[in-house]
Amino acid sequence: MARAVRSATRVDTMLLVACGALALLVSVLPLEVRGAIAGALRRSVMTPLVALQQQSERARGALLSRDETMHRIDSLALRTVQLERLDQENAQLRRLLGLGREVGWGFVMADAIHGRVVGETETTLTLTAGAGAGVQRYAPVVTPDGLVGQVRTVDPTTSVAITWTHPDFGVSAMSADGGVVGIVKAHLRDWPERFLLEMQGVAFRSQLPAGTVIVSAGLGGVYPRGITIGTVLSELATQEGWARTYLLRPAVRPSDASNVMILLPPRVAQPLDGVWTTLPAADSAARAVAAAGDSIRRDSLALVARRVAADSARRAVADSIRRAAAADTIASDSTRRPAAGDATTSDSTPRLAAGNATTSDSTPRLAAGRNPS
Amino acid sequence: MSLGRFARQTFVFLLLIFLHYSLRPLLGWRAPIDFLMIAVLLTSVRVRPGAAALLGFVVGMAADSLTPSALGASAVAMTLVAAAASWLKAVFFADNIVLHGFFFFLGKWAFDAVYLLVERRLGGVELATQLLLWSPLASAVTALAGVLLLLVLRPVLEPQNA
Repeated sequence: MARAVRSATRVDTMLLVACGALALLVSVLPLEVRGAIAGALRRSVMTPLVALQQQSERARGALLSRDETMHRIDSLALRTVQLERLDQENAQLRRLLGLGREVGWGFVMADAIHGRVVGETETTLTLTAGAGAGVQRYAPVVTPDGLVGQVRTVDPTTSVAITWTHPDFGVSAMSADGGVVGIVKAHLRDWPERFLLEMQGVAFRSQLPAGTVIVSAGLGGVYPRGITIGTVLSELATQEGWARTYLLRPAVRPSDASNVMILLPPRVAQPLDGVWTTLPAADSAARAVAAAGDSIRRDSLALVARRVAADSARRAVADSIRRAAAADTIASDSTRRPAAGDATTSDSTPRLAAGNATTSDSTPRLAAGRNPS
Repeated sequence: MSLGRFARQTFVFLLLIFLHYSLRPLLGWRAPIDFLMIAVLLTSVRVRPGAAALLGFVVGMAADSLTPSALGASAVAMTLVAAAASWLKAVFFADNIVLHGFFFFLGKWAFDAVYLLVERRLGGVELATQLLLWSPLASAVTALAGVLLLLVLRPVLEPQNA
């Protein structure tokens, strides 16, 4: 029994020494041999475990990158929304530039700052141009769509304008053909009709069909003639029997006005007939010109690309012809050289071989320098 | 050892190997759980020292195959630790869960020490930091995980009475 135990212990010790020595031996082997052994293990018994670890590390990477990915997606979504706003603002600015071209002179551009309005209609706008820019009280405020309101308070650098939704707002108006005249004021009713205008004091004999465009009449010297105010929706039933009142859809929503034009007094005295009616056409023309420019640029690029491709093809053909000619030359040299008496060379690279040759060559320029004779 | 017991121990051993190559990289801790060490220690205390040394050598070589520059280091460390565990278990320890935790801790730390010495990659402050900070941390985490696994797997393992 004791003998068996001793024997087992001896075997254990031998195994331990053998394994330890083998492991130590492996650890001092050259790196290439260790690499080969490790590679063999990885390709055999360790293959499933290596794959398992790879999958786990990928999963961990995916988990870690998830938050970052979500953050990026949120940022992109936010930027997309901002881009839409920028697009709208660009379009508005472009149209304002068109209006500036049409009006020509006597105006100031300004940004409209909207106050926080909760539960009621926005009736004033703060404008980023003041007395320093020549803005005066009662100056009309317009956009490419039409009339917004009127400046009421002027500071050196800013001013405050009432919009057409304000109860004090009023403008003498007429139909676009000038046949019907009245006074346009805010339609002071409950929401949603609060966002409409009404044209009062229209002569009872005059009728305005729905869709008629109403513009400022220029009476009173506050608003110049020709600024678009709105479009007739319907006639309102009123108590007065001597005049008609029409409901108008306004041309401008004050909440959408972010860039406006303030007309200065000298310009107010001059009519603005046709400015707002030609503006859409001018805008369309500008877009068409831009589109045509893009088209021309695309055509030019295509033409350049075609020319480059043609040049490349031409060069390729020329190269192949040159190579074919060179091959012919080499072939003729190879066949000619032995006949000329040099039995030592049968090289197909005559330019290099020719330096040692004493015979005639089809490339005498290179051959001449190296020819000992 | 009966066939059923051998099968159960093999199952636990393979389960721990699986955890080492799946859960460990998934957790990605700076002081990782060494499931291989737990597997080798749990098996070593149930076999003779010679077999434990052989098992440690084989597992160490397999583990080293992923780091060819340190091939042999794990094998040396695992061989020594496995054989020592088998001997020490036979000599000292009863089947006590706290002692098992201490056993895992010491085994893992000893493994790290031998590995770092044989690998000869680190030196000076780096070696000291690894040996005195990260290795004890990894050993503690490994010991904790080992104890938890032992509690869960005890019915399967049917540990031998001292």
